[in-house]
Amino acid sequence: MIEFRGVHKRYDTGIEALKGVDIKIDAGEFVFIVGASGAGKSTFLKLITREEVANSGEVIVSNFKLSKLKKRQIPYLRRSMGIVFQDFRLIDTMTVYDNVAFAMRVVGASQKDIRKRIPYVLGLVGLQNKSKAYPMELSGGEQQRVGLARALVNNPSMIVADEPTGNIDPDMSYEIMELLTEINRRGTTVIIVTHERDLVKAFQRRVIEIRDGLVVSDTKDEEVASYEI
Amino acid sequence: MRFNMFRYLVKEGYRSLRKNLFMSAASILVLVCCLLITGCAYLVFENVNHGFEWAYQQNIVVAYSQKGSTSEQNTAIQTAIGGMDNVSEVIFESKEALLERYSAEFGELLDDLKEDNPLQDAFIVRLKDLSLFDATVTAIEAVEGVDSVDYNADLSAMLVKIRDVVLHIGAWIILLLLLVSLFIIANTIKLTVYTRRLEIHIMRSVGATAWFIRFPFMIEGALLGTTAGTLAYGLVFGVYQVVCHYFPKTAMFQLISFADVWFTLLIGFLAGGMVVGLLGSTISTGRYLKEQTE
Repeated sequence: MIEFRGVHKRYDTGIEALKGVDIKIDAGEFVFIVGASGAGKSTFLKLITREEVANSGEVIVSNFKLSKLKKRQIPYLRRSMGIVFQDFRLIDTMTVYDNVAFAMRVVGASQKDIRKRIPYVLGLVGLQNKSKAYPMELSGGEQQRVGLARALVNNPSMIVADEPTGNIDPDMSYEIMELLTEINRRGTTVIIVTHERDLVKAFQRRVIEIRDGLVVSDTKDEEVASYEI
Repeated sequence: MRFNMFRYLVKEGYRSLRKNLFMSAASILVLVCCLLITGCAYLVFENVNHGFEWAYQQNIVVAYSQKGSTSEQNTAIQTAIGGMDNVSEVIFESKEALLERYSAEFGELLDDLKEDNPLQDAFIVRLKDLSLFDATVTAIEAVEGVDSVDYNADLSAMLVKIRDVVLHIGAWIILLLLLVSLFIIANTIKLTVYTRRLEIHIMRSVGATAWFIRFPFMIEGALLGTTAGTLAYGLVFGVYQVVCHYFPKTAMFQLISFADVWFTLLIGFLAGGMVVGLLGSTISTGRYLKEQTE
């Protein structure tokens, strides 16, 4: 599903964000990417979403070799994944329904499909009764659920979440993580970048730690209980 | 592109225009000013051109046949001159008709000449293109049976020169104003793109193609351009009616009627506004998207 082979990434500023990273994430996995600020976690995500390009090595996502990917193919790569942001990135002037429908419209879904799919996805994240509400009328946790619904609505094979619980209180964070676990249980690959140790420990999944641009540990589910971030 | 998607994108373009109403109104206003000046420049150019057409009509060449030419020889001369590419009209005037015309002007003074008419049969020649004046005169002089040719070379050269200068100035003014219009539209769309950067970011993250992102902005640009074009057309019409009302009408020169140019102006304003709008928005969104992918 996702493979990094000796990936180096150096920015124009001279900062070397990744220094030869090798990672393989299979379809259906649930993975935490952890590390301190500036360790290279965001660069890792940006390489997956093809917001950035590796200087050397190869990144393969959903059978797309990203070093050979043409610009016009990038949208099709991104359709294979749903992205969840720390700051939710919802459009304030649109209702919950329209925020989620927006993601379907931009990929050319028909009105009929949108009408059918949105109630289902909103039900999945527990927001079936909030479809007419505006983002400002929702709590942080609810806003992140909208973000999650938007990421899920086009039925992607993976969810990439960048600090999805960074802007919400601990109780809500657990609810969001439970939702992501449920999504993963249904077969979607989930990759979460986070620095919240308690959450990582509580959910007992694979943890990849990046430090100074290098993968310093890759622990499996059973090992994570003793893992210290 | 499916129809419902096309409809959605057009709606988005219109929504964006309304959402940024103040900015849209400001750019429409500036665009109207640019197009108004462009339209006025065009009308001035058309009127000057019309004026020169009248002046061209007055700028004639007179060819005289040799004394004692027979009517057959005169017919041959008329046929030869009339067959030249740059000649629009040849009118034959016999020496008798000439004397009669002069007698009508000068009265009994010329009565003595009636018995032994010293004038020559003449051909009044009108040219199509004054820039080919010298070559045409040389060709007329070379026609067998032509004795001499009378013309005003300085006047024709001056007319050609003035017309060319007016043409060039008019073309540069129009081009310059179109570039200014393009700049205004591009900047308006740039601001719209900036205010909608969150939407664009979300679109990109869920896999929208570059065209899908661009299209509403292109619609917005086209709407801005055509709205400004329509308003400018109405204003040009009004201004021209006032100018026509107060402009003195003389036998030598009259302003062209708006009815002669309404269609060209309408198409010019609408198509010009739309093209400038589309181009401006394409440039702005293209630059923004390029910056985001680099």
